[in-house]
Amino acid sequence: MSAILNIKVKILSRKEVAPNIYLMKLKAPEIAQDALPGQFIHIKCSEDNYPLLRRPLSIHRIDKEKGEIFILFQVVGEGTKLLFQRTVGDNLDILGPIGNGFNIYPESRKIMIVGGGIGVAPLLALVEESIAQDKEVRVLIGALKKEMVIGEESIRSLGVKVDIATDDGSYKYEGLVTDLLERTIKEGWLADQIFACGPKPMLKKINEIALQANINCQVSLEERMACGIGACLGCVCKIKTKDKKEDKVKYEYKRVCVDGPIFEGSEVVWDD
Amino acid sequence: MIDKPNLEVEIAGIKLKNPVMTASGTFGYGEEFSAFIDLDKLGAMVLKGIYLKPKMGNPPPRVIETPSGMLNAIGLQNVGVEVLIKEKLPYLKKFNTPVIINISGDTIEEYVELARRLGEVSKEVGVAGLEVNISCPNVKRGGMVWGTDAKATYKIVSSIRKATTLPLIVKLTPNVTDVKIIAQAAEEAGADALSLINTLVGMVVDIDSRKPKLANISGGLSGPAVKPIALWLVWQVFQTVKIPIIGIGGIIKIEDALEFIIAGARAIGIGTANFVNPKVTVEIIEGIEKYLIEKNIKDINKLVGSMKI
Repeated sequence: MSAILNIKVKILSRKEVAPNIYLMKLKAPEIAQDALPGQFIHIKCSEDNYPLLRRPLSIHRIDKEKGEIFILFQVVGEGTKLLFQRTVGDNLDILGPIGNGFNIYPESRKIMIVGGGIGVAPLLALVEESIAQDKEVRVLIGALKKEMVIGEESIRSLGVKVDIATDDGSYKYEGLVTDLLERTIKEGWLADQIFACGPKPMLKKINEIALQANINCQVSLEERMACGIGACLGCVCKIKTKDKKEDKVKYEYKRVCVDGPIFEGSEVVWDD
Repeated sequence: MIDKPNLEVEIAGIKLKNPVMTASGTFGYGEEFSAFIDLDKLGAMVLKGIYLKPKMGNPPPRVIETPSGMLNAIGLQNVGVEVLIKEKLPYLKKFNTPVIINISGDTIEEYVELARRLGEVSKEVGVAGLEVNISCPNVKRGGMVWGTDAKATYKIVSSIRKATTLPLIVKLTPNVTDVKIIAQAAEEAGADALSLINTLVGMVVDIDSRKPKLANISGGLSGPAVKPIALWLVWQVFQTVKIPIIGIGGIIKIEDALEFIIAGARAIGIGTANFVNPKVTVEIIEGIEKYLIEKNIKDINKLVGSMKI
């Protein structure tokens, strides 16, 4: 993991890609150079100290050549509202890149990537990286309804097979994205690794499916965050670890910001 | 005009090159901030609170933002004193900045043992002093139990005093009827300095689930929202005790730090602002110096408690 930088980056563009969901392009060569898929940046949304805390947002795409990064975010509260109101050309105070990133095993040949809702945010960079590493990639996207499906075209344009599920059936498969995952496994498309980001119940189900099919599963977790640099111990999640000496399971609270945000699904304590 | 005012202050017998310290729990074990600032520039570092044994802390969610502030209920998750000594303190030894260890316990015996242990290794690993946490609102036992009662404060501080010759700073809680009584008890029991305030107890409710937003139900409020309360308490304690005060509570800009110094704080602790701007401590040091030059004040100590009423 490279050092976390505190820099100002210019907003190059902003586009509404779905109702209340925005794609923002930032000029950030220092970040783009070192960033890994699954990492995030911690953004000061306003120029003064209100709201007080930064907002963690996944890096959606990394363009090393142009020195640009993209963020994809839904306007849900005060912070994201102020962020979308910032004008193109403005400088944003950010910390980044932060976190461990997804771990693609060199021996993996087939990669399944699953995103639910705004959870698609960190996955485009991951798709691009998987393709760059010559993996066979498939993507499943879940959304509430047709207008809320994000990332479909940009991922499909990379030549990747994308399947979609909507809760209300307004587009493609009616039901949950986890149904699609079970179906592809039943059909015999067995990934060597599954990567997922989305709401916790979805991640929990994906982990169960992966465990049953004996597939490595990595999930991107979210938690209320303060510092974003591993100092405050605010954003923790409960993780199972093995005590090497005594060979028994023990639990500890790990920091989502710097120990994650990517965790092995099998290590996460889901019901707590 | 003067070109180089004196920024040096003395707290509990510890010489600080400037009055800017970090507040415990907001600066990790120091290393987390070394990518953003030169730790050598700080007046002192107060590290994340430590227990004798490692502590798991509270379940999440542990933090929630509030208007101009935040609530936290970390529950003093920490690595335990032995890991602190072996793995965290050696890194800080290369810096020319005093390291102060914030100590907590569930019983008086634990505080005493912790103070004794840190005293024993203080020269070797570089411990300049102890800050006794008798004010954490987020652990069921210990913490605030001591700091809300003058007799209990006296008892615990005097017990620790007997166990170590290290400089003792006692951190006070604002969650009391009269902070002056507690401050006096700590002074009489042998405290060398006081730090205040710790966080104020608060709560946030989710109106959809009707559950508290923190798993611990309550948490400690910090950030700019608490600054006027902290200033008022510092001013009251300043008029009551003779030992120096470290003013803490919502400092995020240079003016905030100066307000505390004028109200009687010999040094200041920067807490939550570290989460917003990891360079804030150094920016405030530079700002204080600039203020002294502009106002033609030769020595920061002249500003301490200089409020005109």
